[in-house]
Amino acid sequence: MEVTSPAEGAPRKRIAPSADLTTPSLLGLPLAWLVVFFLVPIGIVAAYSVDVLHLPITLGPHGFTLQAWHDFLHGSTYLGLFWKSVKLSLIVSAVVVLFAYPLAYYLALSGTKRKYVLLLLLIAPFLTSYLLRVLAWKVLLGDEGPINSFLFSTGLRSPDHPLTLIDTRFAVMLVLGYIWLPFVALPIFVSLESLDRRLLEAASDLGAGRLQAFWRVTLPLSAPGVFAAFLFVFIPTLGEFVTPSLVGGTSGYMYGNAIVSKFQTGFPDWKGGSVLALFLLGVVGLLTVVFARFLQPKQVVTE
Amino acid sequence: MTEGPDLTERELSRNDLLKLAAAAGGAALLGTRAGAAGAALSRLGAESGRLQVLDWVGYGNDGGQAMSAQYVKRYPKNKPQFTVMANEADALGKITSHAVNPDLFRPYVGWVKYFAKSGLVQPWDPKLISNFKNLNPFMVKAGQYKGKQYGIPADWGFDSILYRTDKVHPKADSFSLLFDDRYKGKITWYDDGVEMFCVVGYLFGVKNPYNQTDAQLKRAKEFLISKKHLVRNIWTSEATMNTDFASGNVWIAYAWPADYWTMKGKGLKVRYMLPKERPIAWVGMFMLLKNTPRYHLAHAYVDAWSSTKSGKWLEDNYGYGHANTKARPSSSDLLRALRLGNPRAVTEPNAHLDRDTPRRELYLKLWEEVKAS
Amino acid sequence: MTDVALSRSGARLLRGFFLLVVLFLYAPIVILLIFSFNNNNIPAFPLKGFTLHWYHQFLTNPELQGALENSASVAALSSLGAVALGVLASIALVRRRFRGKAPVSAFLLSPLVIPYLVFGISLLLLFQAVGFPHAVGHWQTLLRVVIGHVVISLPYTILVLMPRLQQIDVSLEEAAYDLGASHLRTFRSITLPLLLPAVVSAYLIAFTTSFDEYAVASFVKGTLQTFPIYLYAALRDPYQLPQVISVAVVVITISLIVVIAAEVGRRVAERRLGAL
Repeated sequence: MEVTSPAEGAPRKRIAPSADLTTPSLLGLPLAWLVVFFLVPIGIVAAYSVDVLHLPITLGPHGFTLQAWHDFLHGSTYLGLFWKSVKLSLIVSAVVVLFAYPLAYYLALSGTKRKYVLLLLLIAPFLTSYLLRVLAWKVLLGDEGPINSFLFSTGLRSPDHPLTLIDTRFAVMLVLGYIWLPFVALPIFVSLESLDRRLLEAASDLGAGRLQAFWRVTLPLSAPGVFAAFLFVFIPTLGEFVTPSLVGGTSGYMYGNAIVSKFQTGFPDWKGGSVLALFLLGVVGLLTVVFARFLQPKQVVTE
Repeated sequence: MTEGPDLTERELSRNDLLKLAAAAGGAALLGTRAGAAGAALSRLGAESGRLQVLDWVGYGNDGGQAMSAQYVKRYPKNKPQFTVMANEADALGKITSHAVNPDLFRPYVGWVKYFAKSGLVQPWDPKLISNFKNLNPFMVKAGQYKGKQYGIPADWGFDSILYRTDKVHPKADSFSLLFDDRYKGKITWYDDGVEMFCVVGYLFGVKNPYNQTDAQLKRAKEFLISKKHLVRNIWTSEATMNTDFASGNVWIAYAWPADYWTMKGKGLKVRYMLPKERPIAWVGMFMLLKNTPRYHLAHAYVDAWSSTKSGKWLEDNYGYGHANTKARPSSSDLLRALRLGNPRAVTEPNAHLDRDTPRRELYLKLWEEVKAS
Repeated sequence: MTDVALSRSGARLLRGFFLLVVLFLYAPIVILLIFSFNNNNIPAFPLKGFTLHWYHQFLTNPELQGALENSASVAALSSLGAVALGVLASIALVRRRFRGKAPVSAFLLSPLVIPYLVFGISLLLLFQAVGFPHAVGHWQTLLRVVIGHVVISLPYTILVLMPRLQQIDVSLEEAAYDLGASHLRTFRSITLPLLLPAVVSAYLIAFTTSFDEYAVASFVKGTLQTFPIYLYAALRDPYQLPQVISVAVVVITISLIVVIAAEVGRRVAERRLGAL
């Protein structure tokens, strides 16, 4: 039974309250929930990937084997698809962060009076439906959609040669960028907002120009926010399958689509699919751990 | 797919229980009538609730209600509850993982043997299907395995090529049009590994593309990968393919007869080509799940589907053939274009009827690799 | 201060950029709005006249309404769960001392970094392994999605509740303890009222997250149809497109209003409650 004394420097003698909300009783439920419904499932995926568990319909002998992992790591198809998806996600994330930074900078450092309102205005679309925003682009990008019909009417393109916008890798990148841009501005904004202005003033006092001050002071100090932003968009994008399936066409096929087809639309291959899913999780986990040191989470946890 | 009136189900079972109790009591008293009462009891007690139907898009409450209208009229308390299957593999996944527990579903003829052997299904009793005698005998045979009727034929049609006559000039009536370098970005393929590998097989003159050797499959896979850059998208949803085609995004499509009819209806100049290699043919087969609690209801449902009236509706509205040979569409144009009057239309040498693919898993695996490359 | 970070022309440039981006963000939504009133099966220019037909169609579409109801139920329940668990976890993290706080908090926040695709699959496999799918009644399938959404929303609720809890002055609680109140009593009477705006905020964030969630739901839903599931299917069926567009407009508008109102409300409430 823990005696909790949260006070700092309390002069009086404290009567310990009847400790009915002890740490274990508080943490027990949330931790248990996550263990049962988050950790254990991942373990089960691992079990499927090594054939310790299997779908009833699959034939052949079963038992622990690393064959599926071996096939994946030594075959070129799915690894190749993975790298293709990584490249696409990198481009999207980089572009989005590049665009989001000036936005966050403006909100945090321009001294505008309604910065929170503007921030909300920026973020609000992100909190509305993802699918519906993809739908909007599906409508916009068609060969006879608004963009192309506009081009036809102004004579920039003839109706026989519309701009092929949809069913392309470009469409996937554009839509994903559109989806994530609002959300990505947030961590950058947070880190810029907590920037100590006096540092900038000091820099200016020492003769630094604005650009120099930005380069040597602001940018490095906002790096955690930038890294966080990059991760926020890179990780989900890597596992994307909805947008590619709606606007990607043949060339926009991504790693996430391959995983989904192992479990849903294609012949059920839970072993192979588990390997693909775990690999993705592993890469993402690794990235998070590596970047965590750069993130310096803003004192979320008080020791 | 609003979830059914669960309340009604429970009420039904309560009512049934009461009736059961009453009947049981009555039967006990009457003694000699126990046999008949017993039969009635078992029927009543065993079959209640909504009929769980796993079917393709467009055959549930999203358009296909007319097909089962006669069933619904007769058994209003057991109205069908539909879940969508994206394709047979999806159905397989859903059934084995118990994500869905249907009473019946409708894979196509190439899967009959697979499902029959899987232990997931049981054979139908044709005696309980009044319209059975009118069904096309070739299709009926295709639905049998080891002499038992595992599949009841429903709709049928071809897999062939639909193209715009004003934009496309094929070098020959051949599957090669799907791989024609001249029409880059204007071609759409169908997302089914077996069909696509079979198309390539027929193109290369393979004897039985449904059971190709490793070498043949490797060649087909490499061929598909080499031609993939010509393909705008690989369609899974017929409606999306139709829109793509209608809006001019694609000019050449791997398509079904209904798509031809739809595009023609939109005023496009189209032709449904039956290639010199002969088209692939398919037949939809109702299959009955093994432990279904609604055995008789399922038969009644299939009986409604198999009626001449339903058949005519399907042909008129969906442009597909129906297994009931007495069903004739209103339009003689359609009859001719789709060879609906010829009972041998789906058999050799007119067409290659989809058949069991013993190494289906491998085909689909290779197809996934084609898509992922 | 502004001069140090931004010159006047720099600020103007950035403001212009900001406006352009906002335009870019909202333009597709506005275009959806326009097409939702367009009297044409296919959303394309030129416009063909005003109609309320699509709105009427979706209002009389029972399948769509069923899907909306399901999503609302799932969201309501899972948000409740996520907030409850989030409150418990936040109190422990903020008001209690124990070893291993960093790994515990990392673990509690870890659902943020798992791609939902992988998580959805893992839940599907879990349910399959324990035989949960054998129950396919309405409430069981609903429960499967609720379970998944609680996991997903938990980090968000913690991230909202913790800062607010830190803001609340500990000495208020200590005063209660001094008077002999138990933890529970103190929480109910002192902490919770002050925490309420954040609780509401957390609930709303969890709600919108759950309502919109497609990936996890698509794997575990069984026969259930949630709104995003319905949408995804409808997105591939162009004949439903105009109807779906009008739904889109309504849902987006409502969520925008709710989000903005919630945030504004939270700030107002917190300022009023002071507690600093």
